[in-house]
Amino acid sequence: MSRARSSRVISSVDRETELALVERLRRGDADAFDEVYEGFNTRLFTFLLRLSRHRDVAEDLLEETWLRLVKHARRLRADTRLGPWLFTVARNLYVSYSRARMLEDSAATSLIALWPYSLQRASPFEAVAAGELERRFERALAMMPATAREVLLLVGVAGLDHSDAADVCGITPEALRQRLHRARETLSKLLEQDAAGAPLLGGMTSCPTR
Amino acid sequence: MSDPLIQRLSALPMAAPTPARANRIRMRCRARLLKQAPPEPRVFAPRPRTAHIWQPVIAMLGAAYLTAVVVQALRVYGLP
Repeated sequence: MSRARSSRVISSVDRETELALVERLRRGDADAFDEVYEGFNTRLFTFLLRLSRHRDVAEDLLEETWLRLVKHARRLRADTRLGPWLFTVARNLYVSYSRARMLEDSAATSLIALWPYSLQRASPFEAVAAGELERRFERALAMMPATAREVLLLVGVAGLDHSDAADVCGITPEALRQRLHRARETLSKLLEQDAAGAPLLGGMTSCPTR
Repeated sequence: MSDPLIQRLSALPMAAPTPARANRIRMRCRARLLKQAPPEPRVFAPRPRTAHIWQPVIAMLGAAYLTAVVVQALRVYGLP
């Protein structure tokens, strides 16, 4: 777990530098890929890990995201914005994964209901969170529906602005603002419940949709 | 972002894939990107001289054949 914020560097890179990176990627420049990778890898992985709550899944989806960038590098539009592009791919891969997973799991649902132990486990972040407040945030985030969690992650953790986050989710900026507002309320309620010692109910029972 | 809740979220720890996995991903992508690099621009070698000789000969034969066809057609229709 890294607390480094180096991954945020590229978000402050001016547009001209980003356009130059895109141009170099289009030409197949591997050094340009390295720069983009350095800039986004940590943020992408954190986003995927908090969405999926499984390190191995997040790593697989991360790899696939980068492979997609390489695959489409030559066909990138000259004015591509790398952050929204990468988060859109990562998010869509997660949606596909969770849909496939839900289909697989539907057959086992009745068996899981009979399982005698609680399925609520600590998220990877919760396990290593340094402070009690961080742990509460991680627990609350892990309990949120995926659609609410993803907007909070995109805006709060990945640092995308509302317009870019809306593009990633495939919704209008206005719909994103509403979704963010509801997500924020849900998070506040979960934090209050957690502080009061009430058990956190719910969990990731849905996958993001358009 | 002035929202304290969002600010708190932005202060949560970041995560990174295991170094071995991260390195493998990077290497794999680099290799694939280099593999896709455009081929070296072709250097067009001058065609062999024989091609230059045959082309006008074939063109002349074609023209002669077409002329003969036109002449035959005019004869069939009785035109001078």
